[in-house]
Amino acid sequence: DVEHFEIREVLRCILHTILFHRALGLVRPKDIDLELFEITYVQCGDTELEKKIDEKIEQFIDRVEKHPNKKNQICLSFYEVKNKQPSWFTNKVERLHWEQWNINLNVAQHPKTHSGKSHHSKVLVDPGDNALEERSIRRAALETSLREVLFQIIKFVNEKKDHVPPIPNLEGVSFPYEITISSSSDSAFGMDMFKRMLQTGHPTMLS
Amino acid sequence: MDLQSGPHGEYGRFEQILSQFLLKSLHIVLDSRVPSIRPRSGRGRLLSGAQSKKNDKWFSLALGDRPSALENLNFWHRNLMEPMVIDIILVQETQSDQDMYVSSGLGTVVETLIERWVVQCESGSPMGFHGDSSASHKKTYKKLIILLRSLYSTMRLLPAHRAFRKLCLSSKGCDFDIIYKVSSFSAPFSRAEEETMKQYGFVPVDAPQGRLSISVTYRESLSDFNLETSASFPPQIITDYVGSPATDPLRAFPSTDKGFCATSVPSRGMQSPSSIPFQRPHSWTGGLHRGAPLGRTLPLGGSPPAYPSSFGQYEAASSPSDNYRFQNNRHSNHHKATSFDDYQLSPPFSPSPSPSPSPSPPTYLSSGNPVQNCTRGESSPVSIPHPMLGRSPRYLSPNLSDPNRNSLPPLSPRSLKHDPSYQDSPSGIRSGRRSDLTRTGDPSPGITNYYFGQKVSRDSKDDSGRFSGLLSSSGSPRVGLSRSSSRFSFQDDLDDSDFSCPFIVDDVDTPETQARQNVDGNKASEFTSQTFGVGRKSQDAAVGALVHMLRTAPPLRQDSSCFSSRSLNPGLEGDAGTASGFFLPRKTSDALEELRVYKEVKDLLLSKSGARFVSKEDTTG
Repeated sequence: DVEHFEIREVLRCILHTILFHRALGLVRPKDIDLELFEITYVQCGDTELEKKIDEKIEQFIDRVEKHPNKKNQICLSFYEVKNKQPSWFTNKVERLHWEQWNINLNVAQHPKTHSGKSHHSKVLVDPGDNALEERSIRRAALETSLREVLFQIIKFVNEKKDHVPPIPNLEGVSFPYEITISSSSDSAFGMDMFKRMLQTGHPTMLS
Repeated sequence: MDLQSGPHGEYGRFEQILSQFLLKSLHIVLDSRVPSIRPRSGRGRLLSGAQSKKNDKWFSLALGDRPSALENLNFWHRNLMEPMVIDIILVQETQSDQDMYVSSGLGTVVETLIERWVVQCESGSPMGFHGDSSASHKKTYKKLIILLRSLYSTMRLLPAHRAFRKLCLSSKGCDFDIIYKVSSFSAPFSRAEEETMKQYGFVPVDAPQGRLSISVTYRESLSDFNLETSASFPPQIITDYVGSPATDPLRAFPSTDKGFCATSVPSRGMQSPSSIPFQRPHSWTGGLHRGAPLGRTLPLGGSPPAYPSSFGQYEAASSPSDNYRFQNNRHSNHHKATSFDDYQLSPPFSPSPSPSPSPSPPTYLSSGNPVQNCTRGESSPVSIPHPMLGRSPRYLSPNLSDPNRNSLPPLSPRSLKHDPSYQDSPSGIRSGRRSDLTRTGDPSPGITNYYFGQKVSRDSKDDSGRFSGLLSSSGSPRVGLSRSSSRFSFQDDLDDSDFSCPFIVDDVDTPETQARQNVDGNKASEFTSQTFGVGRKSQDAAVGALVHMLRTAPPLRQDSSCFSSRSLNPGLEGDAGTASGFFLPRKTSDALEELRVYKEVKDLLLSKSGARFVSKEDTTG
C-alpha cells in the first residue's frame, strides 16, 4: 500500500530507474535521494525528462484523487516508430511497442479521518501513537518492497536485452516512449488494453 | 572507434571495448564507494582534455574525469581476459587492545571486506558467432551500456552505499574509511565471511569473443560496524512543523531525525544571508534540498547567544538539536541525545567545506549529492505535511524560509540590508516601483530589490504602524506594484509568508494588497520616498512608532480595512485624501496626525539622505 503523499516519490523513483536503463544515449547520471526512504536512485540528468515525468505523475495523482476506489495503473512503454503504408485503421506512422512496464499502485485509503474525507492529507495529523507505529512499519515495508522492485527492474532490464532495437538517438533518452495512465474501471481499462494490443502487435509485458 | 576490418581488426575492436568496459566499471565502482578517489577539483564533472572527454562518452555514461588510479590500470592489467577483482574494504579504528590487527598510533585498525566486485570476460565460444561483426559489436556495445547502467543503479542500492554517503558528508569526522584494492585474483573468503555475504550477479553479456560478466559478493548488513548512520531512525512526520513564527524564532527549525546531518551544512561556512534571496529561485529544481540548508543559515547565524556550547562550530549544530527536543515530542530523546553525542564525539568542522565534494559553498550545494543526503531529512518534514495540499514543492520553500526570516532580530538586519540596497541602486528600486508590470534590470537584482522592498514595506507597516489607511495605502501600493511587477510565482508566496511577520499578522493587509494591484504608478512613487524614509528610521523611532501602532491598532484595523478598500478608487483617481463621506470625519484627525509623523520622518530622512528625495517631497507637498 502506498500512502498518498508517497506516490510522487515512489513513482518518480520507479519511472526514472526504468528510463535510466533504457535511455541509452549519452547521459550524465544524477543521483537522487528519496526523502521518505533510504533509497538512492539514478536519473538520467535530463531536465526535459524530469519535467515530463513529473507532469505525468501529477496527472496520476489527480486521477487517483478523482477515483479513489479504483486501482490505478501507470504504464510506461517504449516504442519504435515505423513508417508504414496507411492501412484501414492507422495512419502513416505506426508505433511498435517493444516494451511495456505496468506499474500498479494501491493507494491506501484511510477509513477514519478527522476531516471525513477519505483521501485527504489531514488524516496524517496526529492519529496517535499506535497509528504512527503502524505507519512506520508500513513505511519500512514499503521501502523494502520498493527496493525489491528496483532490483527487479534491474534484473528484467538485464535479462531481456535482445529485443531492444538499435539506438536511434545518441543523446539522452534514445527511444521514444510514452506514459499512460489508466484506471481499472472495467470497460475502459479493457478497451485500453485492447486498443493497445491492436496497435502494437506483440508487446513484451513486464509488470 | 576504430573501424578495422578483418579478424585482427575485429579483435582489436573487441579488445578496445573490453578494456574500456573494465575501466568504466572500475570507475563506477570506485566513484560510488571511495570518496577519496574523486578528483580534488570538484565533483569530477570537469573534464580535462579532449581525450578524457572522449573516454567519458564510452558506454554513454558520462562520469567525469577518471581518477588517476584508473590510468595506472592500463599498465599492469595487460591480460584483459583475467578477471578484475575490486575489493571494497571498510577501515575502522577501534579502541581495542587486541593486537590481532595492524595497529596505528591511535588504536587498532580493523579492515573488513564489505564488497567484492568481479568483472571479467570469460573467453567464450569463438566459433559460435558468425555474421556481421560490426553489427554484433554494436549489439554487444548496447548490451554493455545497459549492463553498466544496471551496475550504476545497483551500486546505489547496496548497503555499502550508505557508508559511502556517510563518509562523503563527514569526511573529517568519520571514524571509518573506505579503501579499495584491485587485483586479478580473489582471495577466498573465510567461512565466517561467507555466511555474512550475499551474492549478486548481473546477467552476462555474450559477445563473439567471450562473455562479459559482473558479479558482486557483498555484506548484507553494515550495522555491525556502528557506523554513524541515520538508517536506524526512520523519518517521521512532523505535523506541527510550522509553528507560529511569533513565538520562538528558533523553534522555526523543522525537527527531523536527520537534524544532525542538516546542521553540518551551515557549519561549513555557508552563512551568507544575502545569498538566500538569490538562491531561492534555484531551490525548486530537485532542490528543495538546496533551499533548506540555505534557509537555515540565517537563524543559525542569529542564534548563538541562546545556547552555550563547549565546541566552536557546533554552537550552531547544538541549538537546532535542542530545539528539536522542545518542539517535537514524538522523537525519542534518546535519539536526540545520540545525535548530539555523535557531534560531540567527532571533531568540529572547519569552516571550509570538505574538499572532496567541492571547494566552494555554492558549488557544494549545486553538486547535489552530499547535500541531498544530509538535507534529505530536513526537507522531509517540509514536504510531508504539505504534499496533499496539491501544491508542488515550490511552495514549500517559502514556508521554510518564512520562519527563518522571522527569526531575524526585528530591525537591525533589515535596516542593514536596506542601507546597501539604497546606496547601491535606489533608482533601480524606485523604477521598479514605478512601473506597473515591467520588471527592471536582471532578475537577481530585481529579486533582491523586491525582497528588500518587501521588507521595507513590512517595516513601514510595523514600525511606523498602521496609523490609518493612509499609511497602509502608502505601503501597500508599492507592495502591490511589486507583486504585479513580479514574474516569479514564488514571490507571491513570499508575499503571503512575509505578511506573517513577528509583530502582528496583519490579515487586513493581504486583501488590501491584492486589491491594490492596479494602483497608479505615480501614486506609488509619491509614497515610495515616505516608505523609504520609514525604513531608515532609527531603532528608537521605530520602537516608538511600534508602540504607537500598538496603541492605535485595534480601532484602526477595522477602519483601515474599510478605508483602504474605498480609498483604492480614490487612489486610482489620484487623491488619497478624499475618501467617501462616511469615513471622512473619522479619518481626518488620524490622517493629519499621520501626516505629521510622516513629515517628521521625512525631515529626518532628508537630513540623512540628501537631495534625492527633494523632488519627491515637492510633489507630495
